[in-house]
Amino acid sequence: MARADTTSFDDAITAEVIRNGLAVAVEEASVVVVRSAHSTFIQEGADACAALLDVRAQLVAQSTATSLMHAASLRCSLPWLLEAVALDTMEPGDVFGLNDPYRGGIHANDILVFRPIFAERRVAFFAGTLVHVADVGGVAAGGLAALATDTFSEGLALPPVRLARAGKPADEVLRIIGANSRVPDKVLGDVDALVAGAHVIARRVDELMGRYGPAELQRFIDAALDQTERRMRAELAQLPAGTYHGGFTIDGDGVEAGRTFDVRVAVTCEAGGVHVDFAGTAAQSRGAINASISQTLSGVLYGIRCFVDPSIPMDEGCWRPLTTSLPAGSLVNPHPPAACGGRVVAVAAAVEAILDALAGARPDRASAASGLIHVYTLAGSRGGAPWLNLFYEFGGLGARVGADGADATGCFFLGGRSVIPQIEPLEAAYPLVVRAARLRPDSGGPGRWRGGLGVETVVESLGDAVSTVRGDRMTIPPPGRDGGASGDAGQYLVERRDAPTEALAPKQADVALGAGDRLVVRTSGGGGLGPPHARDPELVLADVVAGRVTPAGAARDYAVALEPDGRTVDVQVTDGLRRRRPTPRATEPTAR
Amino acid sequence: MNGSGVVVGVDIGGTFTDVAIAAADGTLHLGKLPTTPEDPRVGVVQGVRQVLADAGLGADSVTRVVHGTTLATNVVLERRGGPVALVTTEGFGDLMRLGRQARVEEDRYDVLYTPPPPPVDATLTFEVAERLGARGEVLVPLADDAVRELTRRLTDADPVGIAVCFLHSYANPAHEHRVAAACRAALPDAFVAASCDVWPEMREYERAMTTVVCALVGPVMAGYLGGLERRLAEIGIHCGVEVMESSGGVMSAAAAARRPVCTVESGGAAGVITAGMIGDQIGAPDVISFDMGGTTAKTGIVRDGQPRLAHSFQVGGKGSFGATRAGTGVPVKTPVVDLAEVGAGGGSRAWIDAGGALRVGPGSAGAVPGPACYGRGGTEPTVTDANLLLGYLDPTGLAGGVTLSSERAARAIASVVADPLGLDVADAASAIHEIANATMAAAIRLVTVQRGIDPRDFTLVGFGGAGPVHVARLASTFGIRSVVVPWGAGVASAIGLVGSDPTVELVQTRLVEVADADPVDVEAVFAQLEARGRAELGVDEEQPLIVRRAADLRCRGQAHELTVAIAPGRFAPDGLEMLTTRFRDEYERAYGIRSTAGVELVNARVRLIRPVAKPPRRAERPPTGAAAPQPARHRAVRFPGEDRYVDAPIYDWGTLAAGARLGGPALVAGPDTTVVVPPAARVELDEQRNVLLHPPNASDSPVGTGTSPARTG
Repeated sequence: MARADTTSFDDAITAEVIRNGLAVAVEEASVVVVRSAHSTFIQEGADACAALLDVRAQLVAQSTATSLMHAASLRCSLPWLLEAVALDTMEPGDVFGLNDPYRGGIHANDILVFRPIFAERRVAFFAGTLVHVADVGGVAAGGLAALATDTFSEGLALPPVRLARAGKPADEVLRIIGANSRVPDKVLGDVDALVAGAHVIARRVDELMGRYGPAELQRFIDAALDQTERRMRAELAQLPAGTYHGGFTIDGDGVEAGRTFDVRVAVTCEAGGVHVDFAGTAAQSRGAINASISQTLSGVLYGIRCFVDPSIPMDEGCWRPLTTSLPAGSLVNPHPPAACGGRVVAVAAAVEAILDALAGARPDRASAASGLIHVYTLAGSRGGAPWLNLFYEFGGLGARVGADGADATGCFFLGGRSVIPQIEPLEAAYPLVVRAARLRPDSGGPGRWRGGLGVETVVESLGDAVSTVRGDRMTIPPPGRDGGASGDAGQYLVERRDAPTEALAPKQADVALGAGDRLVVRTSGGGGLGPPHARDPELVLADVVAGRVTPAGAARDYAVALEPDGRTVDVQVTDGLRRRRPTPRATEPTAR
Repeated sequence: MNGSGVVVGVDIGGTFTDVAIAAADGTLHLGKLPTTPEDPRVGVVQGVRQVLADAGLGADSVTRVVHGTTLATNVVLERRGGPVALVTTEGFGDLMRLGRQARVEEDRYDVLYTPPPPPVDATLTFEVAERLGARGEVLVPLADDAVRELTRRLTDADPVGIAVCFLHSYANPAHEHRVAAACRAALPDAFVAASCDVWPEMREYERAMTTVVCALVGPVMAGYLGGLERRLAEIGIHCGVEVMESSGGVMSAAAAARRPVCTVESGGAAGVITAGMIGDQIGAPDVISFDMGGTTAKTGIVRDGQPRLAHSFQVGGKGSFGATRAGTGVPVKTPVVDLAEVGAGGGSRAWIDAGGALRVGPGSAGAVPGPACYGRGGTEPTVTDANLLLGYLDPTGLAGGVTLSSERAARAIASVVADPLGLDVADAASAIHEIANATMAAAIRLVTVQRGIDPRDFTLVGFGGAGPVHVARLASTFGIRSVVVPWGAGVASAIGLVGSDPTVELVQTRLVEVADADPVDVEAVFAQLEARGRAELGVDEEQPLIVRRAADLRCRGQAHELTVAIAPGRFAPDGLEMLTTRFRDEYERAYGIRSTAGVELVNARVRLIRPVAKPPRRAERPPTGAAAPQPARHRAVRFPGEDRYVDAPIYDWGTLAAGARLGGPALVAGPDTTVVVPPAARVELDEQRNVLLHPPNASDSPVGTGTSPARTG
């Protein structure tokens, strides 16, 4: 049992009280931002990111339902704010905003807001909030510039600027933001929401400082971060020392025809620390799939955290044992002004590469690749008023050792289906009818452990509309592992009312739809793990009964035959099929 | 108060079943006995008979039995009941399987994360060719053939319950009603629930899930309540049973069986209702309810005498934010008393995490093996063990005749907490107590400051078996100046049941821009809901009824609504303008932003309350005597925040006189719980025997205090 050297009686209590207090502060801020935001992208289940950082830009606490991509951006941006604005020129009531991917940001639409928190007239902490705002210009409404080739086409660039000075809104800056937006009221409403969230954190921290004093508060925070670091290092030390290699191949960037992109990692575990080297990773893309540094780092930390105790708090202590080499000019550390809006493609590839590599250290935690999030927009105008909506759908999760992949829950580091818009509110707001949203039988990669299923969503436009789509892992579907087969590839299709069905590219902009045309979105299934013929026939039967695998799929992919009632395995025929070991679909070694 | 008779309240907890009986003259008679988990009704009947006998009351004088039960919650959490079939629109049969789960907190980094299985089996999901548009218009008609084919397949499957949920049925119930009627005809024994009847609110996943929960719980609830009524009739109680619903009203057994989803927080709601009644008794309209039992602590808010309500709830919600965290647990879209529940009760276990920090809960020792001091084989230290060692509990016993072993408690705390941390046992016990307090503080914060409510304006009402032990310290944490521990605190929820009124709440989605709405139309929506509610309560136009109207509004294009109360009575022509103004005010209060965007009406809500005759509230007269009471005995007690034991006086609650005053450090020991009175705190006993406590240093501004969160001012 660990013996905590610093723990004294009072400190143990105070530490716990402060820990709860800070956790609630950022959570509360996140709720305020998401509920008061105006962006149509803030769907019912979505979360805004809220975080507390100290003056050394250490992450102290972050909202818990938030994607690590957003929290990493807040953490990585703060040093750039501090570089741009001297601490001693900041005043109480100042609020700053920025969105530059080359200064810790993500892409134009993700606006970060910071508010300094003062103790004894000096800045002691920063409250940070981030949300995907409605629109900040660029070639595509709402920020899905799937084929953008530089940051200028992605939208307004905000260097670190004051959004408020000493409590007074900086009207001139806000007017510029509004003037660059297709929906000025909404984007300014979103900025208001971000500022309101930052105020919430500031107020809570002020209360804590009022009770404990700023120095004491910082002391307890430092101790908490140190404790997280100790836990991280203790867990990392459990991984066998060595260097582990992994990789993942991206379909393409939608711009450079025929070019795939490799993400390569060498993960070195040593003495409770981890170094991740991306040497060998593809050069940056012309298209928008580049990941800015903060985004790559979020993927790195996410991947590593999958191999330690998941209950470790998410604060600076998690980051400390981590070092990286990110080759300049590569997909994971591009030179400006490379476009970064589709960074989820590269970040998710980095996560897969790390999971792949660390499976060498912990074979029991190996997993096959997952389907990626598919993002698409539909836009049009009704009665003269423009409308636009951003949609998401998820692919199947890769199979894990000992467990099938979850269906359509998104690759690992995303937060699950609560962000998928529901159909009724969509149809109430937009001239659309969703005709189906269903799992795709047989789409999970066959394996001893099966990949999760992808989804098919069919959206019919009731009038003229334009669609932009962005997906990946559709040309090269999520590979299987250890003899498991890849998941079935996803697709974007347009079923025309009066013309033949068209297949769209995985990344395509401005596809025109007429009334009655249907956009069909199919997400990829997750990869399988282990040879499909090693799967327990009873599990295959259960999949057939549940509709995850068709009887034909059971025979083709798993060599399992069912009795005519469809409720029993035909043991004799199955044994025969499996003895003859026919070649199942795609069991050759995968792209890894 | 015509026709009032004897009213019985029964609250079933995990460990104890509490009974409160109000005689016709208002005298309260209380009882507590072990819960009978194999069939809780056995304990209920036994308890009621016992308390009636002790009070010398005849069973035939009982006019109401009001019941709080966690049956519905348990059915959902334990996936009991069923099998249930789901009938839905063609193309959407995977609605439940797709789900809307979020991966929060630890799940986020768990490679082996798998969403919980949906409550409906894939083989029991049936798609029907039909489709409505968002305004209720028919896009694909429902064919008779399709209905016949459906009922044929359902008959083969023979489910216990059938949930029918078609897209946009909130705007047009016709298809659902036809299918539901056909199902009832074809499967007369099945429990059939149509989503447009259960909860006609937009958002298909929650509405479908709410309907499924209804179909799942319905048959179980009907069987349970029917059986309970029969058994009560056997002992001479013929008045039927009423059940507390999640928003704090009560519904008849028949209504509960019809819409059982409304009872998911039956148990939790009773506590908040109780706190409100105590507040009313002592003239405090704003109270925070703090109900701490064996495994959890629950908090809630009563403002202006009204419990604060939420309009959705996640049964089994995960993470630090529990039931309020969307995307976890089973969402239920019915009104529920706004509760926060944390895993910190008497049985919560103390442990050291991998980083060397002391943690308490959420794991619980439960009833079996229970805290180490119970001597039933538990070896892990719990909050109760810590409280015993600190001197707060009497070693000679808890209710139910349990003797507590200080030695076992000390051994458990030493081995698991004190030795690894290098603390002595008393320091470790004190730390466990304080960390439990910190966890409970988070629950109070959740229902107060996180909702923009300053707890310092409230009176904290502490009850449940463990609540009175912790309540004073918690109050100090928040700078709360006034604390009440009600007489009968250990069975307070059962007392609350005695004083509750039949209530019904209904919703109807009507999505319209307020600026474009016709007030006559809006009035018609509310009027229809009221008429339905009157029918459900069985009252005509003449009978008195409290009607509360509210509307869910949002800025155009936003996904989240705010609920705004509106005046009862017909909608005046300027009513819509009023709605907009009220919404903007509420919005600014909640988020600190004055919005100017267009406003949409999303849902109309009405809540109807039928006040019933209740026994007069009779003062539970304490004995008369000296205002300066004498302690019954002394014991070594270490108070929160102190570093040593003092020989503290222990007063016997039952012998304290009205107006009795005493000061901390002290303990007030009642029949089923102990009030910890910290040093410098002041206590006064009121006419109802309630302990009114003023914590020390209440003017401090410690961690829990705060003002409205989002004011940007």
